[in-house]
Amino acid sequence: MTHAGVGGGTDITVRMMMVQAPAEFGQEFTVVNRTAGSGAQALQYLASKPADGHTLLLVTQTHLLSMLRNRSLPQMSDLIPVARATEDPMLVLVRRDSPLRGPDELMSAGRARSLRFGGTHVGGVDHVAIFAFGRAAGFQQPTLVPFRGGGEIVINLVGGNIDTALVNPAEAEAQLRSGEVRPLMVLSERRLPSLPDVPTGKELGINSTAATVRGYCVLKGTPEDRVARLEQGLIRAMESGVYKDYLRNTGQSPDSVTGRQAWGAQLTSFFEEGREALTALGLLR
Amino acid sequence: MEAFLGGLAILADPYVMLMVLLGTVLGIFVGALPGISGSTTIALMLPMTITMGPIASICFLGAIYCAANFGGSITAILVNAPGDPSASATALEGFKMAEKGQAGLALGISAIASAIGGIVSVVVLIVAAPALARSAYSFGPPEYFALALFGLSMCAAIGGDSPVKNLIAAAFGLLLATVGMDLTTGVERFAFGITELSDGIGFVPVLIGLFAVGEMLDQAANRHGKAEIVSLEAARVPGRAEMRKCWRSIWLGSGIGTFIGALPALGATTAALIGYNETRRWSKHKEEFGHGSIEGVAGPEAANNAAVGGSMVPTLALGIPGSATTAIILAGLIVQGVRPGPHLFNEQPTLLYAVFASMLAANIFYLVMGLSMARLFARISLIPPAFLWPAVFVLSVIGAYGPNQSMGDVYVMLAAGVVGFLFRRTGFSPAPLIMGLVLGGMVEETLKQSLIIFGDDLSGFLQRPIALVLFAITAAGLGWPLVARLTRVARAA
Repeated sequence: MTHAGVGGGTDITVRMMMVQAPAEFGQEFTVVNRTAGSGAQALQYLASKPADGHTLLLVTQTHLLSMLRNRSLPQMSDLIPVARATEDPMLVLVRRDSPLRGPDELMSAGRARSLRFGGTHVGGVDHVAIFAFGRAAGFQQPTLVPFRGGGEIVINLVGGNIDTALVNPAEAEAQLRSGEVRPLMVLSERRLPSLPDVPTGKELGINSTAATVRGYCVLKGTPEDRVARLEQGLIRAMESGVYKDYLRNTGQSPDSVTGRQAWGAQLTSFFEEGREALTALGLLR
Repeated sequence: MEAFLGGLAILADPYVMLMVLLGTVLGIFVGALPGISGSTTIALMLPMTITMGPIASICFLGAIYCAANFGGSITAILVNAPGDPSASATALEGFKMAEKGQAGLALGISAIASAIGGIVSVVVLIVAAPALARSAYSFGPPEYFALALFGLSMCAAIGGDSPVKNLIAAAFGLLLATVGMDLTTGVERFAFGITELSDGIGFVPVLIGLFAVGEMLDQAANRHGKAEIVSLEAARVPGRAEMRKCWRSIWLGSGIGTFIGALPALGATTAALIGYNETRRWSKHKEEFGHGSIEGVAGPEAANNAAVGGSMVPTLALGIPGSATTAIILAGLIVQGVRPGPHLFNEQPTLLYAVFASMLAANIFYLVMGLSMARLFARISLIPPAFLWPAVFVLSVIGAYGPNQSMGDVYVMLAAGVVGFLFRRTGFSPAPLIMGLVLGGMVEETLKQSLIIFGDDLSGFLQRPIALVLFAITAAGLGWPLVARLTRVARAA
């Protein structure tokens, strides 16, 4: 069960897991797409089902922001994290002939003026990440130019309509290879195997990480033995060859799949980060 | 050249050909059913193609994509329910033709125009993809704003009894386009706390309601059942005379479709609507439009299928999808380990040409199937309304529910049906409403994006030559009738 439309990155994550999962559990799986309200409808759907572990929700940061903005939805405390499915770290990109030649130029420009960042809609996941990055780097409040998705952001970056953007490596793969965009840093704990020369934000003294993460949750009240069984089975299903190939081919971290402890901690920390950002941006009532 | 022949040689592989044929048949079928679009089908098929190997899988998915776009026109013409959103412009004239008893003619010209549009765009793709792809980078929000404005500028002229009614309908469409989450403020507008409305009013349910359900209500309200005998004319397919008449609109549609398809932010639906506008503008038989013009079917059908090839340009050459469907095909390629981008043209030309060859083959397949089955399909329009329309209604409900599995969409569809009925009774046309709904959101969004980029300074548009040229064309199109009238008055005086 996912909030994404059929065929999007999130939907495909679920379908790739399902290649192996039926064998793992001896059960058929079906995908339910409930797309309305940035995850709101998906959360309501989950809450309408019995807490028996038969309905799994693929949770992303989008759900957390929807919870923050609409308190009547099921909240974090109503969910039990089960396992993380993907972690896709973000790069700070500029176009080839940008005057922001390296991290130093970016830092001084960001402090001198408000940089134009490309991202998804105001109050969305990208906005929160840009806010957190800008604050950790000591920037002036960045200007968000909102677009419909990663592809549009990359095109406008190359076209010179925005100064910089936080983008997943896969979204800019072709432009990275042809050198039309240059990565200044990666906002993860470790350098990426595919881009070993690109420093992390932390190495440059910017204490901020940003990644697109997705993982499974069930409803509160699901019996403990079922959660444990699900955690085990999902992780095994996601260690299959097809799923590993999918992660590698889409440039996502090979450490993506992890159990409920790490996944739960990450959800909690993002929830807090989102709350701070939305409050500071005046988007939370 | 060697690579091109290598690509063609792949088509000699019976397994690949079988996949293309299967994809074409499946594509026509799902395209014709309202509610299952080509993109949904491709997404559902994706996990199955993983084991096929890169070439067979991309050929299969590409064939579905090509054929679904054509399939959409079948139901649009026969029962006024576009099977695929991109066929909405086709319904405007195509259904009128079917009502006149020319269903076979409309279906036939749709197959021919679609195939020519599709083939032209693939040829352009082969010759100019990398060059054309570069132009995507020159199109930022200001340029899209100018282009969308150009599309909207025609809305007073299409459909309906009078320009005033068209403008009213278009304004209503613009209003509907504002519903839902606003990109630049993150605020929900006119959603009234209803979750289903927070992503805006869906295009597909409005379309199905406006056309199919509106038509059903209208027919139901005619108490004197039209017991007209439609002659065998219904099964006639286009001949030489029709082709001569449509030639110009097919080329026009193919050109517009290829270009618009190649722009990542615009898809086949916009291409078809602008193709329809321009066909009408350049037609020698303007008076036929709105009453079942065969050119009005040929133009948008050529445009929406040309947009298929066009949308493969940014997908393959930039790795940036030009439509929802190509986004899924892109995902399919990546899963197979194929990395689209400029380097694909140097590193894996054989694969690339196999894709092109399979798209050409798919276009030819559905041309043959479309023409040979046109006579058969045309007989659907002879089914008595009392049997036909309830079936269409059931399909409409499924079609509205299908894409998002949402009852909200079904209610929107039913409401749109009532609007469509009232429109018919009062001489309004759904065409301007659809233009407003499709292009309205884009005009608003791109203007706001432009202003953020320019730092709220309107003079920023002056530094965008492409946008200025598009503004000038729009102004010329709007001003020309006025100038023409003034010169006529001056000459008379």
